[in-house]
Amino acid sequence: MKRMILEMGAGNDLYGEDYTKAARRAVQDALHHSSLILFRSLGYDHADMRVHVTIGVQKPDQVDADAVAADLPRGKAEVRVVQGGQNVVDEDNGTISVIATAAVEAWLDIEEKDWVFLNNSRLPASYPLPGI
Amino acid sequence: MAKKRVAMELGMGSSLRNQDYTKAGLRAVENALWHNALSMADAFGFPKDSMIIDVDIAVQNPDAVDRQRIAQVFPYGQVSVTASQGGLDVEKPSGDGVTVIAHAAIVVSFDMEPAASGHQSQGGE
Repeated sequence: MKRMILEMGAGNDLYGEDYTKAARRAVQDALHHSSLILFRSLGYDHADMRVHVTIGVQKPDQVDADAVAADLPRGKAEVRVVQGGQNVVDEDNGTISVIATAAVEAWLDIEEKDWVFLNNSRLPASYPLPGI
Repeated sequence: MAKKRVAMELGMGSSLRNQDYTKAGLRAVENALWHNALSMADAFGFPKDSMIIDVDIAVQNPDAVDRQRIAQVFPYGQVSVTASQGGLDVEKPSGDGVTVIAHAAIVVSFDMEPAASGHQSQGGE
């Protein structure tokens, strides 16, 4: 298996101190900053993808990992929850804001020998990059 | 055409004070890039420099975007930058100027094709 991408996100629950809600929002943030187009353009099957999710929060035992896993739309998802994230405590007003970190890794069985890289110098001229 | 799209990254950025469409665009690009760590080139065994990177910045005043500066953000790859009509300008309550919101869409492709005896599918869905 080769890792294609690591998607990172943050999510919070400002007043409810709901660690699962914060984690699910972090996963949505991570997922929706990118799209793995190669499933369409290269003909791979989503079902073969493995998705490794790591959630960081200050109280890992309060995250419902199955609920987080259910939010992942494709592939075989595994969710683990570790110590991390951030809690912001407002002692004056008695509130705790919960911030969760999400790392979503997508892995796929890509065989290097199945693909050949072509000389892309024949593509239209790209925007010139000075010094590179 | 063997240019195959493998990934897209999306981001948003703003210029709060000085209506700088390039800066908002740069921040949108950074927002898109730094939410993800792509390892497609490694996964396929291609050189990193072979990445074809097509960037579109959407703002309300696309002519004001310095595309050269946007291209310089990328450490490697063959980069092309377009600026198009979009994003959003929001009037400031004080009446002097606008807050600029930019979107960035970054499409990563490779010039590639299936090896003769390799992966079964060429066409996608």
